[in-house]
Amino acid sequence: MFKQEKSIEMVSVTNLSKSFKLRTPQKGLANKFFRYFKPQYRELKAVNNISFSLKKGEIVGFIGPNGAGKSTTLKILSGILFPDGGKVTVCGLDSQKNRKELAYRIGTIFGQKPQLWFHLPAIDTFNLFSRIYELDQKEYKKRRDYLVKRFEIEDIITQPVRKLSLGQRMRCEFVLALLHKPEVLFLDEPTIGMDVVIKKTIRELIKQINKEERVTVILTSHDMGDVEDICERVIVINHGEIIYDDSLKKIKEKYVTKKIVRLQTNKPLVFTKREGIKVIKKTEFELEAEIDTTKVSFNKLAAGFFDKNDIEDVTIEEPPIEDIIEKIYKEKPKNSHK
Amino acid sequence: MSISKYYFITKTNFKNSFAYFYDSLFSAIFIALIVFVFANIWTVVFRANPTGVINGFTLQSMVWYLVVTEAILTSQGRIIIQIGNEMITGEIANYLNKPYNYLFYKYFSTIGSSITTFLITILVGGLTAFIFVGPVQINPIILPLIAISCLLGITLHFTLMSVLGIFALWIEDAHSLAWLYQKVVLVIGGTLAPLDIFPAWLSAICLVLPFSFITYYPAKLFVLFNLNEFIQVTIIQIAWIVGAIIFAQILFKVISKRVSINGG
Repeated sequence: MFKQEKSIEMVSVTNLSKSFKLRTPQKGLANKFFRYFKPQYRELKAVNNISFSLKKGEIVGFIGPNGAGKSTTLKILSGILFPDGGKVTVCGLDSQKNRKELAYRIGTIFGQKPQLWFHLPAIDTFNLFSRIYELDQKEYKKRRDYLVKRFEIEDIITQPVRKLSLGQRMRCEFVLALLHKPEVLFLDEPTIGMDVVIKKTIRELIKQINKEERVTVILTSHDMGDVEDICERVIVINHGEIIYDDSLKKIKEKYVTKKIVRLQTNKPLVFTKREGIKVIKKTEFELEAEIDTTKVSFNKLAAGFFDKNDIEDVTIEEPPIEDIIEKIYKEKPKNSHK
Repeated sequence: MSISKYYFITKTNFKNSFAYFYDSLFSAIFIALIVFVFANIWTVVFRANPTGVINGFTLQSMVWYLVVTEAILTSQGRIIIQIGNEMITGEIANYLNKPYNYLFYKYFSTIGSSITTFLITILVGGLTAFIFVGPVQINPIILPLIAISCLLGITLHFTLMSVLGIFALWIEDAHSLAWLYQKVVLVIGGTLAPLDIFPAWLSAICLVLPFSFITYYPAKLFVLFNLNEFIQVTIIQIAWIVGAIIFAQILFKVISKRVSINGG
């Protein structure tokens, strides 16, 4: 059944473009004065002719540096911003023409723009949203109770939101966004400002909700941990263009060309130096080396090594995802993102 | 349009307004000060007038008039700045992806908090007026009609402020517009003093402008009720409101395409 569901296209973006007009600062007092009457603008291409699609139940990380165009894309998808060109459909609906209709079928969480009423208990905002989304009250109460239990916020929903911690507040934000059973969930920096423990909880909950309700999730984050932990697929955007769109696994296969291996043996080390292996440190029972996976097969090398040696401990270190993404930004293979 | 969701928005913000109860109460204390100052000024003015009536107003009706105008004017807070800032900073993003009309949401939400502020101001201002000039002679039967007139005044006030709030996106600052608008309603809208005491030519201009239908007419009807005038004023209030709503909706539709949503 999931296979069939997987083929349903939930988000489709074709040749999407969006520019912003920015006022250019003028030099000189006279120019500064006259800019009010004849302002000069420069055009900033926030999103430049991008295309991609998402299937039902997919969980995709939309990543890029500040000003790359990821939030702009997300806001166009959720119907908040109007594009200059291209076609966008979400749940089969044009996100600009059918904005109101679409609102019933999507959920949004903007980490920096909370939706809960600050001075009221979260349950009041839940109740209000049940009316805004015109939910059947019986169904709503069932759904609310389920989510409240699921997100473990039973004890806090009757306290004013201002008295809650950031993590508690964020869990309430998630319940709020999920009350009307959205088919697509837009998460813009959902873990911003959180500590490691809360981040982990939120990531787990996103994964579980995606799995249980088959909700399609698009996530933007500066925290690569979010992406690595949650997403199966990554779309890397920079200067308004998609520069990479594939699974996280494939990114690693393509861009992780060096691995650091640290070994400890029980008996004296048996090691023959060959091309692709750069020894960093070597003693009788220890080896630290950098393996260039483009020159030597890591799997074959490891198998041979394990045969010849009595291994006590081994660690394999890959470069962090941040470094990989930085590498992709620098390479910027335009129009060849697959 | 689903009425029930808007009713709940009003209800929720009514509840929320109690979080700002002390804020409203302190504002009302300021109103008490204004009423006290004007009660003294008008006492001196009326003492110099042997008939005790100026353009149909007695000392009591003049001061109670001020209580009603202030209650209407201060009931809504700074809508121009609120809407303007939401448009400029991108805060509006949280409203645009919801299944409601943004301006209706803002209106019904505002009404929720206005009720509390309006009642507190009437209570504190009325008490001050009662202490310093005594009661005003009114027929209690007219109170529901005055409530309608005040509600329409508040609605008109909101719609005009929302137009300016949306317009703020163009000039990238809402504060100057808010300042200017408040002064206009305060003076030529007849909030501080009834337009009847203005020179005839100025009064004639002010009476046809929409600002006079916000505070002047509802307050005047409260102290000097006339059924024919009430009907006429109500019709014109509704006409201005409908016109302003249509204009605000068109303006919002046009300008929301220019919103650039900061912060991402």
